Amino acid sequence: MGKATDHVLDAIDIETFLICNSAEEGRKLAERLLVEMNLPRGDVVFLEHSGPGARVRLRAYIHHPGDHYLWLEDGGK
Amino acid sequence: MKKILLAPLDPVHDNAVKLIQRRLREAGYHTECMPPGTNEEEAIGKALEICPDVILVSRTLGYQSAEILGRFVDLADAAGLRDKTRLGVGGMALTKEAGAELGFDAIFPGDLDMNALLAFIENRPASGDSARVRVGTNLKPDITAGYSYKFIDTRIEPILDSITAQILDWVKDKSSGGIERAEIRSQAIQENVDFLQAGTGKGKALRDRYLALCDSEIQAFYRDGRLLAGVRKVSGDEIEVLPRLLKADDQFYRTLRLNGSKPLFFVQYGTGCPVMDIMHIKISEAWGADGVLHFDPSWGAQHEGLMSGLLTHEHDGTIVTLENLKLIKRFLSLRTVWNIRGHRGLNTPETLVLGAEAGADLFKINIPYGSTGGGTDPARLTVDGVYSIMLASQYGIPFDIPGNDELSGVPPHKTFAGLLIMMALALKLGAKPIPKPLMCFSPYMQISGEMDENSIDMNAAKLNIWREFIDTPVWPGEPVGFMTHTPDRVQSAVSTAAYASLAASLGVDAITMASSDEAYAKGPITAQARVDTLRGVREMMRFTGNSGYTATPRSLRIQSRLHEDIISVLQAVEKRGDFVASIYEGLLGNSEDGLYPGRAGRGTVVTRQA
Repeated sequence: MGKATDHVLDAIDIETFLICNSAEEGRKLAERLLVEMNLPRGDVVFLEHSGPGARVRLRAYIHHPGDHYLWLEDGGK
Repeated sequence: MKKILLAPLDPVHDNAVKLIQRRLREAGYHTECMPPGTNEEEAIGKALEICPDVILVSRTLGYQSAEILGRFVDLADAAGLRDKTRLGVGGMALTKEAGAELGFDAIFPGDLDMNALLAFIENRPASGDSARVRVGTNLKPDITAGYSYKFIDTRIEPILDSITAQILDWVKDKSSGGIERAEIRSQAIQENVDFLQAGTGKGKALRDRYLALCDSEIQAFYRDGRLLAGVRKVSGDEIEVLPRLLKADDQFYRTLRLNGSKPLFFVQYGTGCPVMDIMHIKISEAWGADGVLHFDPSWGAQHEGLMSGLLTHEHDGTIVTLENLKLIKRFLSLRTVWNIRGHRGLNTPETLVLGAEAGADLFKINIPYGSTGGGTDPARLTVDGVYSIMLASQYGIPFDIPGNDELSGVPPHKTFAGLLIMMALALKLGAKPIPKPLMCFSPYMQISGEMDENSIDMNAAKLNIWREFIDTPVWPGEPVGFMTHTPDRVQSAVSTAAYASLAASLGVDAITMASSDEAYAKGPITAQARVDTLRGVREMMRFTGNSGYTATPRSLRIQSRLHEDIISVLQAVEKRGDFVASIYEGLLGNSEDGLYPGRAGRGTVVTRQA
């Protein structure tokens, strides 16, 4: 089967809720979370702050269109 | 007739058992259903009494499930039931592994799958779940079938006749590099000339004629093998692996339609890479898409000439080459309707030639929309567009007409006037057009406030009005809910689903839908975003079912006003007596609306040699 990340078609999305005081703080935390999780080419797709924190969707592209796709190697076998 | 005993071994939950009983009775089985709270001994006692072919027991609660179900199997064994009776179990607390360990003949965990259940009762292999439909070899639908294209509004017919007569008279002695390239490319296909291999002889002569009509970047591609920035060749290894990767069953798909054969659901693809596109298409097909639309890079519309070979591209839009198109076609399901757009660029006629050769089912052409904004010069696209409609007619391939100029701020009556001109032009040339009114929250609507009260009245009017003009299929696009989507996946999928539901209930023939990444601009669309929306639309189709929206008095007033405004625009274009000038001068959308004539290819229309 190989590594699970090799099987990701294009991107990993992470949905979470971050406790924070503002959208700005939430964004900083979200970006830090991507680094802490060691996810490449990360981005904050969506962030909405309300009440005690922010609803967040983070994304890291594992395979960008035009890349060499690792799922082709494993999937074809 | 097979006899089925249903026994909920659960103190309260028996909804699924009741549902199964109804479905089995409808399918002609004799069923006996015991009440909730039935215990193991009571179920076995009933089985000994009626001698069923199958006993189906259910257990929703997780508490003591293994003990109760295990004891039931043991009792069935001890009673000698299992020689003639097979045991099935279902329930949310169950896993396949746990049910098999307990000794059941069949296990149905999670949601009800009637197809699998019926297969077990009939002791035959399951052939996909009940929400899935078997794909036949001849199931590709024709969106235009059954429409007469007769004008219903007799006032507009003579106006459109006059406008289109002027267009056809104007283009009759004109040509362009785009048309000449299409003719050369067509000849190359007929004579099996590969421009990438054409080093000598007749092939080289043909290629040289072609290159003389191309931009310098395209010439450098063929002559020196120089690729445009961000473009690379797809390797043979990548292509070889795909058939093995996609060997999974393609005979079934999960339809989004619960009632009838309409509408067809389309998604757009164009990740930049044909291999990634194929994966996105296969995912979309599996989740219920009936058709796909090929999107090329925006720069492709602004270069004279097309490249060849299997090429991938780092940015949005997949490069139109015959090889890319053929590769994608190879992996399309037999039922998938395939649209290749060519409506707004300098390569519109050639794109149709390649699309037809690759097996396209539909094209996309719209002269007024394509020759505005960042598009092609109106004179050039009128010449190329008319030629392209003639090609579509020759090929017998219908084309759709997207009304997306509304996105620039054009009010719907001007956009729709353009769509009607295209419809009339197509019918005069023997083609089959499909108007695509845009369901959206356009800049015009945002500024005018006409959709402040709700999103239904205006959009319903924009769909229903077509039934007043002409007997035609209607395909709202592109995608539905344009400018309503945000990067929030839930909001985005819900919005698309709501628009799709409205359109479906108003009897449209097809719908183009976005992914939930529609409003995310910093990266490519992801596969999960496609599934988000397809899943959302399916749920909304289930929710709406065979009910529907009825036009409100306000919607009818909007429709009536729109009708008169469209006729006014058409009268103004007819009065002007010059279609191309009408676009330049903004009769179909002007700078005040946010529209300006396209610039690509200006001054490239030539007069044909007599």
